[in-house]
Amino acid sequence: MNFTELRTRAHAEWQALENSDRPIILVGSATCGRAAGALEVLQAIKTRLSEIKVDCLLTEVGCIGTCYLEPVINIIKPGQPHLYYGNVTPEIAGQLVEDYLVNNKVNPDLVLGTVGETLIPGIPKLFDLPMLKPQVRIVLRNCGLIDPQNITHYLARDGYSGLNRALSLTPEEVIDEIKKAGLRGRGGAGFSTGLKWEFCRQAPGKNKYVICNADEGDPGAFMNRSLLEGDPHSVLEGLLIGAYAIGATRGFIYCRAEKPLAIERLRTALKQAREAGLTGSNILGSGFNFEIELREGAGAFVCGEETALIASIEGKRGMPSPRPPFPARSGLWGQPTNLNNVETWANAAVILQKGSRWYSQFGSPLSKGTKTFALAGKINHTGLIEIPFGTPLKTIIYDIGGGIPGGKRFKAVQTGGPSGGCVPSAHLDQPVDYESLAKVGSIVGSGGMVVMDEDTCMVDIARFFLSFIQSESCGKCVPCRMGTRQMLDILKRITQGEGKPEDLDLLADLAESIKAGSLCGLGQTAPNAVITTLRYFRHEYEAHIKRQHCDAAVCKGLVTAPCSHTCPAGIDVPRYIRFIGKNQPDEALAVIREKIPFPSVCGLVCYHPCEARCKRGQLDEPVAIRMLKRYASEYGQFSHKKIDRKPAESGKKIAVIGSGPAGLTAAYYLARSGHAVTVFESSPQAGGMLRTGIPAFRLPKKILDAEITEIKKQGVTIKASTRVESPDLLIAEGFKAVLIAIGAHQPVKPGIEGEDLPGVVYAVDFLQSLNLGKHPHVGQRAAVIGGGNVAIDAARCALRLGAPEVTIIYRRSQSDMPASPEEIADALAEGVRIKPLTLPIGLQKMNNHLAMVCTRMQPGEMETSGRRLIAPVPNSEVIFNFDTVICAAGQIPEVPAGFKLTLSNSTIQVDPETMKTGKPGIFACGDTVSGPASVIEAIASGRSAAISIDRYLGGTGDIEETLASPEGEKPGIPEPEERGRPRRPILPLAERIGNFNQVEPGYSQELAITEATRCLRCDLEEHSDE
Amino acid sequence: MSVLEAARAAGIYIPTLCYHPDLQPYGGCRLCLVEIEGVRGLPTACTTPAAEGLRVRTETEAVNKVRRITVELLIADHPSDCLTCSSNQKCELQKVAAYLGLRELRLPKKALDQPVDDSNPFFSLDRNKCILCARCTRTCESVTCVGAIDMAYRGYQMKVATLGDRPIFDSICQSCGECMVRCPVGALSPKKSLPPDHEIISTCAYCGVGCSLLLGVRGEKIVSVRGNPAGPANSGKLCVKGRFGIADFVHSPERLTVPLIKKNGRFEKAGWEEALDLVARKLGAYQPEELAVISSSRASNEDNYIAQKLARAVLHTNNVDNCARVCHGPTLAGLINSFGSGAQTNNIKDMSNAACLMVIGSNTPEAHPVIGFEVKQAIQRGAKLIVINPREIRLVRQADLWLRIKPGTDVALIMVIIRLILETGRQDQEFIDNRCENFAALQESLKEFPLDRVSEITTIPAEQIIAAAKMYADYRPASILYTLGITEHTHGTDNVMALANLAMITGNVGKPGSGVNPLRGQNNVQGACDMGALPGLFPGYQSVTNPNLRAKFEKAWGCTLNPQPGLTLTAMYRAAGEKKLKAVYLIGEDPVLSEPDMHHTIAALKNLEFLAVQEIFMSETAKLADVVLPASGFASDDGTFTNTERRVQRVRKAVPPPGEAKPDWEIGCLIARKMGAKGFEFTHPEQIWNEIASLAPSFSGISYQRLEEEFGLQWPCTSASHPGTCILHTEGFTRGKGQFIPLSYRPSAELPDNDYPLILTTGRSLYHYHTGTMTRQVPGLNRLRSEELVEINPDDAAALGIDQGDMVTVTSRRGRVDSRAKITTDCPQGVVFMTFHFKESPTNALTNSAWDPISQTPEYKVCAVKVKKKR
Repeated sequence: MNFTELRTRAHAEWQALENSDRPIILVGSATCGRAAGALEVLQAIKTRLSEIKVDCLLTEVGCIGTCYLEPVINIIKPGQPHLYYGNVTPEIAGQLVEDYLVNNKVNPDLVLGTVGETLIPGIPKLFDLPMLKPQVRIVLRNCGLIDPQNITHYLARDGYSGLNRALSLTPEEVIDEIKKAGLRGRGGAGFSTGLKWEFCRQAPGKNKYVICNADEGDPGAFMNRSLLEGDPHSVLEGLLIGAYAIGATRGFIYCRAEKPLAIERLRTALKQAREAGLTGSNILGSGFNFEIELREGAGAFVCGEETALIASIEGKRGMPSPRPPFPARSGLWGQPTNLNNVETWANAAVILQKGSRWYSQFGSPLSKGTKTFALAGKINHTGLIEIPFGTPLKTIIYDIGGGIPGGKRFKAVQTGGPSGGCVPSAHLDQPVDYESLAKVGSIVGSGGMVVMDEDTCMVDIARFFLSFIQSESCGKCVPCRMGTRQMLDILKRITQGEGKPEDLDLLADLAESIKAGSLCGLGQTAPNAVITTLRYFRHEYEAHIKRQHCDAAVCKGLVTAPCSHTCPAGIDVPRYIRFIGKNQPDEALAVIREKIPFPSVCGLVCYHPCEARCKRGQLDEPVAIRMLKRYASEYGQFSHKKIDRKPAESGKKIAVIGSGPAGLTAAYYLARSGHAVTVFESSPQAGGMLRTGIPAFRLPKKILDAEITEIKKQGVTIKASTRVESPDLLIAEGFKAVLIAIGAHQPVKPGIEGEDLPGVVYAVDFLQSLNLGKHPHVGQRAAVIGGGNVAIDAARCALRLGAPEVTIIYRRSQSDMPASPEEIADALAEGVRIKPLTLPIGLQKMNNHLAMVCTRMQPGEMETSGRRLIAPVPNSEVIFNFDTVICAAGQIPEVPAGFKLTLSNSTIQVDPETMKTGKPGIFACGDTVSGPASVIEAIASGRSAAISIDRYLGGTGDIEETLASPEGEKPGIPEPEERGRPRRPILPLAERIGNFNQVEPGYSQELAITEATRCLRCDLEEHSDE
Repeated sequence: MSVLEAARAAGIYIPTLCYHPDLQPYGGCRLCLVEIEGVRGLPTACTTPAAEGLRVRTETEAVNKVRRITVELLIADHPSDCLTCSSNQKCELQKVAAYLGLRELRLPKKALDQPVDDSNPFFSLDRNKCILCARCTRTCESVTCVGAIDMAYRGYQMKVATLGDRPIFDSICQSCGECMVRCPVGALSPKKSLPPDHEIISTCAYCGVGCSLLLGVRGEKIVSVRGNPAGPANSGKLCVKGRFGIADFVHSPERLTVPLIKKNGRFEKAGWEEALDLVARKLGAYQPEELAVISSSRASNEDNYIAQKLARAVLHTNNVDNCARVCHGPTLAGLINSFGSGAQTNNIKDMSNAACLMVIGSNTPEAHPVIGFEVKQAIQRGAKLIVINPREIRLVRQADLWLRIKPGTDVALIMVIIRLILETGRQDQEFIDNRCENFAALQESLKEFPLDRVSEITTIPAEQIIAAAKMYADYRPASILYTLGITEHTHGTDNVMALANLAMITGNVGKPGSGVNPLRGQNNVQGACDMGALPGLFPGYQSVTNPNLRAKFEKAWGCTLNPQPGLTLTAMYRAAGEKKLKAVYLIGEDPVLSEPDMHHTIAALKNLEFLAVQEIFMSETAKLADVVLPASGFASDDGTFTNTERRVQRVRKAVPPPGEAKPDWEIGCLIARKMGAKGFEFTHPEQIWNEIASLAPSFSGISYQRLEEEFGLQWPCTSASHPGTCILHTEGFTRGKGQFIPLSYRPSAELPDNDYPLILTTGRSLYHYHTGTMTRQVPGLNRLRSEELVEINPDDAAALGIDQGDMVTVTSRRGRVDSRAKITTDCPQGVVFMTFHFKESPTNALTNSAWDPISQTPEYKVCAVKVKKKR
């Protein structure tokens, strides 16, 4: 049969299918679909169809790439739009089919979109979905849409027309066409495919071979598998075209045995191609002879290297050999051989089908066409995507990928498989192409793309990828075999807290030599993950080495429990939770007191970073750690016997300037170390921001007072209403050390015209006057400018001060507000309004109110941080009228000039390890060093300062203490049943408004004990080495 | 030539650990990295072809940085026991580290603790020292082509391992030690090793390959043996016997050290004078036809020359022969008949030129291991291999065709192959017409061999025979290799001539890569024949019946010579049995174990009135002697050996002889002189050689001086300027035209019947040599193969109720032998196989002394036996 006949027949069959009255259901049953239950869905549909006696063509198709929605089905009803459903389960599949086919009913909750000319109101077109819209599906054009086991489908969609065209050209013309298209190898190295073909064509030799590399083996990569499962003929067509161009008579497809479905589909396709006369002798009457054999590989990553793959086909151990000789001259069995990746071959078919001119319109100047990627990791839309080269990474991550799940922050994306590099957010602008990714230290690779969020430790991830490489190294060359091992050992040491500062240089040296010295691509790229993480996340390495701290709390050697590791003060969370569970709140409180002198305060207002890392959160919800801490502080009796110790008096005087959490914590520990501590506070009352910044409905004053009283009992003298003008003077007065902990109380001016008008206040000042017992006037309509926690506090205070109408003006989207979601929810519930995407640009006094001119903002391009840029909507100015405007645009420290200290961005510069300023005996800690931060961070900073000052004064710096009794027998780790945390208790709305009563009641004893049992007791888990 | 080799040639050092000149470039150690202008990155010098104008920098900062880290990495994992390591000062890792100036190690030392594989008796594998350069595995893959070791596992776990990661001893390793030789560090190291103080070049005393050796001597002991890279036959390679099996027998405490005279049935020590007087007196007391001298194919050319001269000039008898009679007698007879010369036509190295190799009746890798390497390398390079053997020898695995022939049916097979070639027009008619004669007679005799009949006789399927004919004829040049599977038959000479016919009809004679190549079994079996230790031929194959030649020798030796050809070796035992032969002077030979039908041999020897045995050990035959004379033997004497490819090579004295032992030639001369003869006043073998060269035109161009300078010469070498002859019959055949010999099929003398239902065929084990005189003195070889094993097919074993390892009794009409059974499909049904290395199980008690009528060579390869489980 000649090609015209083949195609005519295929078209006729396809038309008949399209014009038939018989509905069609396509079930995505590639490996990804099957893993999600597609075959069960298929069976369920089959059963239902026979029950409802609907004659329907049920077909298994490949994957459209929306793995996160698998199983996906497509119901095609004659004359109607095709309907795509995702997350289909066998239980609902039958009903969905019946609903649409029989009752013409669409299930709006599950429908993904439609395909076809006509639309269903309210339902988007499938390819308008954010995940699909930016994609350009060239290689994947047929995947999920045709029956991969039916060559007719492929032929009907222009399949093999590329081969037919190639056969009408000379081999040189075919090569020229590939060159003009600008096709580059998709296997990773990106070498010009046309040139590669040309080298092989020109090589002397009578038996030439072409090989399709389908050995894809990167963890998390399944581009080739999916293509082979969804559209195997496109690969065969490319291989045939290449063979013709090169002059090869035999071809091999080397596919991993662990891809049984791809192999099955390939076998079917090969059989059909043979039957259609597309392989064998005298193909399509052209005189061209070509046979294709399928070879199954045993799954060695190194066999992705062409020379290793060739050795494996020859039956030898899959080890690479040095080039030259290049396979183009001496490859399989010493003959000229051309090897390309699955995707490259598929591209070659399209290029011949549609022409190089058409093809080269896609992509970037040096990287033409599209590239498929397997998008995986911490990303909402995991799946298989195809994008034109040049698409920025951020488009892939935030638009196609739908951003990071759970509201976490993006940290890095690893491109190109385990031998690629980790690209940080700063480079998310990079367009994805060979040169750009190389510039930032990574590679396109074969197309793995693994997204990491804040919970990923970059040292650990480097260790992970290196350990993969190390176990997949073939072992032939020394740098790869032994160098990666040494690097892995170093990384293991670092993740176990045993790293040494010189390790980083050694790592870099090894990495460089392995790159330069290794035999094949595997070794030459093996250190990339380490090199890039060292480049972009060196601070994480240093944290592991210098502070034994893993920011992401994942390195098992360092982290006994992620919660306590994440707690800046290092409170032993699992232990006190166990005491609570055993109904020993006294002991629980003692555990907390081992690390902080403010257990009650933290129980109320801590921003609980511990909960974000709680492993229970991966199962259902994090343990309510803050609430349990609060319970311990409320129910626990604080035993003075335990805490009263009589340290030897050092006879040294220490001055602490500022009585906030940082200053008081330091004072507390220094006093307990035997020093005479005097705290100087400029305000009339001690407490710093705890007192002046946090409203009483969150932190009642008497609770704060009680904790400060405890601190005083340790011998700390607090001199209120005493402003220190110069620490040097204090030294001169005989203080052996001075700690500056004056916080960050200076409001940041938002820079709005008219912000100095009467009626405009800064939130810090507003809250301070309120907290110091004043009753500021707010009027009827109060506005708060800002989106942080201070803005929320101010708004809720304004409401309580009697303003019936309180509005938060925020320039970005509400979802981008930095305030904690709990606080925002409380505020909204209490009646605070939020006007997002609104930028105040001027204030004017109008009669007895303030007119605020605002411009509407609109979200624009994604920023590398994962937030969208905002831009004013032209001519969108609006005016709002307010009685009071409270500006909450943040704070900075206000360090008196008389302190004569070096500042950086208004903060005091200190050695981060010792908290020492440039002046001898003068230390600083807390917000005044870090800028506005949290209570717990201030406490942690105070602890560091205490340690350092004690050492400075000749002490050991040991402030660790054991206050709780020994635990006794530790309970085993229970098999957790899925159960969320209790709903957060909160006062009824009616009881909240008009007063400053505490809005959040604590847990009851019963509730606390129950909640405590949800703890997974990570600290008791036994860690194996690997 | 690679950049690395070019640099080496230019005297520029580039460090490397995985490069070895015998091996394909590997590129694994990454130390030979260089910078090449215009080339990206740091290419390896070993894999980059050198080219005119290439600008290479071998010492740059970038290159040395990578080299240093690479060596640091290796050292981090390497034990620091350099001072006690057997490779100290030879270690290439040491050398490279020193070259790179490494002084400190930043990487932590890793304590590897892998058990040392000590299973092999001669060398150990300490993987803790291994740097995975793969020289050993590449050697095993592409030099010896054994494939016992390869790289296993991946990445850091990679290691050198046998199949299934079992101890080396339990693998197919053949213990040749070629891997060990190439190990750059101490991972593969000899168990016994002391550095020698000097090395002596000599030639191996085992098989006929003629491997050149370097005997490492320290004081008066051989402490090491290595292959001499300059040796033309072996290019430095050795087998297990040559490398590990020499020192132990040379220095064995069992060596004979003083003459012994049997008095009242017991040996007593005697002085040389007494012993020699006795021998001279006894030999002088008999008529020439009652005397015989049995010379030794293991002794030097000079020893053999003296032995035959003693027989002919002093004892006036042509009753002189050597054990070539019982192995390659038919070769001599057959090839002289067909070609005019009885020697191997082509040289060893030339086998690599063959497009097709037919290995028939030869277990080359076991019996001629180093030629086996050559054969297997040729196959790896693409040559076709046809194996014709009843047993599934190892070579079968590499063969394109294996014809499992029924023992003793070779003539039929070869003749039908010839017939098939002619029928399909594949012959070289031009060669037949111009270079050969008697073609019509051959054609006529082919009528007797229709394919179906031959298929039935040989039990080979017809299509395999057709395929073999096609392959041998189509892939030219084609070379035939054979050994005793062809010759040791009652139709042995026919077999040889059949092969000669086959080679001639395809024009496969006289060209590189072609030929008929009988591989000689013993180190100097070629030389013993060359020297005239044959009943009908003077040195240089000059007939005793030719009056002109006889006159030449009479003149030279100053005596009259017996014109009557003497008895062959086999005929001597019959004559002794009949008391026609009365006194024998036997040199370096153990006929009790090596002759067929042992009981008959013993009876014959006991029949003798006088037997003098000259030996290095108290052999089974020596025990029957009246006088035993201690010979100095290998490594304690100078001389020459002639290997299978007609190459005359020097052997040299390395250590003093044990006790009072004397060189064979000297003892021969002393006896002659005691008997009053003149012409035996030699004081050094070189003088003897000069006499040989003056009398035998084939050797006249060979002198000790040339042997020194040219490292062996292949005869014919007819003048001082003649370069020697690699390939025989290039222009014309030695006899003028090649002669086709019409043949017919004759079955073996003794075929299985109801009483003796199995065929016994015999052969060799890699680990032992001949009757075990030397190898049984080597403990390591005895560990590798400790006893006789009767190989028997599982079906036969099952029918006889024999289990693996059972002791069985093998009985023939002539005797019985107990041995352990080895059940293996290597042996076809109906056939059992034994070696003859073990005196505890003397296989030749079973074999048949029926002989080939032309050469009088016995039929070792076929006799009828029965096997029973021993109770």
